[in-house]
Amino acid sequence: MTGADPTDGANAAGTGTADGANAADATRSGAGLSTRRLLAVLFREEWRLHTQLFGGWRFALFPFVIALLSVSGTVALVETGTAPATVAGGLHVLAFGFGLYSGTAGFAGSDMLENVFGRLSLLLSSSTTLPLSRRRLLGAFLLKDGLFYAVAFVLPMALGSVAVDGLSAATPVSVGLFWLSLCLVFAFGMAVTVALIAVRTRGTPPWAIGLVVGLAIVGGWATGSLEPLRRVLVPISGSAVAAGGLAVGTLVVAAGSLLLYDPTYGRPSRTATDRFARISDALPIDDAPLVTKSLLDLARSSGGVWKPFVSVTILLVLVAALVGVVDTITGIAPAPGIFFGGVLGLSAFTTYNWLTQFDSLEAYLTYPVSIADVFRAKRIAFVLVGAPTVAVPYLAAVLWFEATLVDAAVGAVLLAGYALYYYGLTVYIAGFDPNEFLFDAVRFATFTLGVAVALVPTLVAGFVVVPPSAELAVGLGVAGVGLGFVGVVLSSRAGPRWEQRYRNGH
Amino acid sequence: MGAIQVDGLRKSYGSVDAVDGMEFTVDRGELYGFLGPNGAGKTTTIRVLTGQIEPDAGDVRVLETDPVADPIETRRRVGILPEQESPPSFLTPREYLEFVGEVRDLDPERVAEQTAAWADRLGFESKLDTLHTDLSRGQQQKVMIAQAFVHEPDVVFIDEPLANLDPLVQEQVKRFLVSYAAGDNAVFVSTHNIDVAEEICTRVGIVADGRLVTERSLEDGGDDESLLEVFLDRVEREETRDTPTLERLET
Repeated sequence: MTGADPTDGANAAGTGTADGANAADATRSGAGLSTRRLLAVLFREEWRLHTQLFGGWRFALFPFVIALLSVSGTVALVETGTAPATVAGGLHVLAFGFGLYSGTAGFAGSDMLENVFGRLSLLLSSSTTLPLSRRRLLGAFLLKDGLFYAVAFVLPMALGSVAVDGLSAATPVSVGLFWLSLCLVFAFGMAVTVALIAVRTRGTPPWAIGLVVGLAIVGGWATGSLEPLRRVLVPISGSAVAAGGLAVGTLVVAAGSLLLYDPTYGRPSRTATDRFARISDALPIDDAPLVTKSLLDLARSSGGVWKPFVSVTILLVLVAALVGVVDTITGIAPAPGIFFGGVLGLSAFTTYNWLTQFDSLEAYLTYPVSIADVFRAKRIAFVLVGAPTVAVPYLAAVLWFEATLVDAAVGAVLLAGYALYYYGLTVYIAGFDPNEFLFDAVRFATFTLGVAVALVPTLVAGFVVVPPSAELAVGLGVAGVGLGFVGVVLSSRAGPRWEQRYRNGH
Repeated sequence: MGAIQVDGLRKSYGSVDAVDGMEFTVDRGELYGFLGPNGAGKTTTIRVLTGQIEPDAGDVRVLETDPVADPIETRRRVGILPEQESPPSFLTPREYLEFVGEVRDLDPERVAEQTAAWADRLGFESKLDTLHTDLSRGQQQKVMIAQAFVHEPDVVFIDEPLANLDPLVQEQVKRFLVSYAAGDNAVFVSTHNIDVAEEICTRVGIVADGRLVTERSLEDGGDDESLLEVFLDRVEREETRDTPTLERLET
């Protein structure tokens, strides 16, 4: 890999015209389209992509749902005694996490995004057919993503600051400042992910990247550097110099990543020994071939079987950091078993998302299987992948936070039951497209409500009664088993529900 | 009774009538070409015939099964090569054909034999252990052709059989399709390629705007008009029927 982009040598002034006579002039590669025009086209594509995927203008409701959740959530937290600084910190953690996630747009061209959007379906792919620099196109694409999500997602999140600061004549200014603060950490999150992807395009193996990231986190923890980092990542409560430093750092990381990014990176053809029959034969179930296909697709795609584990670990780290912040500020620590059991169950969503990234329901309709069969197979695959994926971080959490035996046992029941419940909820509402439904206002609101019904009372109980009493332990255990049952029923009904939709051709 | 029977088939998506009163029959031994412009209703018809979607009205029968009432049984008995490019899969062609074999309850040894035979016939022996997602589109198409025939079905539905294939393999596939239909099977081919249809099909049906506008046998070969001329004439006529031109308005 040379890292040279064949179209990068062309001028980037962007002042030319795109008339037919000039189109063949190789020296003008990509210059016919100004960056402003390119951004405008990318914005239009982004908007149309969302409106097409999520039922037209219904997508426009999504920012309002975010605003509603943000404001109601922060009001509830502040009213129940959570320190405003903790709430502000939590919103910044969310913005940073969302930035990390949004930066995965840099995977464009890899099997990750191709499986979601298909080959050549995005303007981003046009560098393969038009004289446009891939690096410039990616830069514009990420800038567009950053601006789009800063307005559509981060701005509604920032409205939560109203609950933190209270209403006054200065509210518009304080919301604006809070938004800028969230935007900074969001952009930094994006830049970090893009930097990691850029390193990857230089041939660095994913395990080495993961190792370095892990060592950096552990090193920061051990040397006490995480606290200063936390202050930097909440610019609104830090100094202007720190915020400026974060902004400059983000720009440097982003620009460096684009320079490092190798647009010509491509993996050679991969081969594999025949494992299908062996795994399928070892599974004593009717849907063994369907389950085996899901498992192999997951294991052989980018990131391998570690993807769901990394997702859970990110969730664990974010929640553990939040617990630490709450403990530091208020002196209140939750019952770790109940708290982590309830929250880590949410990984059901990410695990199921990974299991559905690499196939589509339509593809199964050419075989003599029903959609209900496919959903049943996905549920088995979910249990096989999800159980060990979530058990290890949970064990680490209860050991690290020194949970009592009763607390750890109740948390384990909650973890299993709630994970099944969240899974059932996801499958029932979103079918085979859990990732896309995050942007559908109605489905997202339904999902959020379903999660809140189970999670909020559990977290409150986890904070109020520490360690859990026998009555609370039994009550939560029953809730875990009951909601697990509800989850199984929901996921069982998802098959017939989605089968009817697909057979109607919708 | 025909291998495929379609009677009064209708299917709409919202206000768009994708299929509007389709009727035809295909017998065993026929290689039936289903020709039409984009959006004529070809793929929708195949999806109904293979039980992937339900029609709004009409009767369909495939090998005496009802794809609406029992889609699994229909799909068990037929082979399907879909138009839509399959999503990238991380199975190798060898594993993918094992997967198809297991889903279709085939004997593993028979699947292994079929895999070897198809790899040899279409020239993908060297790619049998390469991940499907890393294959070229042409190689992926070869594997998809193999999966449609691996259980030696009596009826096969094929959407654009020669897409992405090189000329050598195209010739092999064309010869195979002709010989397969001749072996008392029915092969239903949806295609835009009129030359290919003229070369290999025993009969063609031309569709436009969701309706079958004409059928033509290609076995006797006595017509003066070429298939292309017939296609252009009938499709244009059908489109004109629905479009009020100035001339017609004057009339």
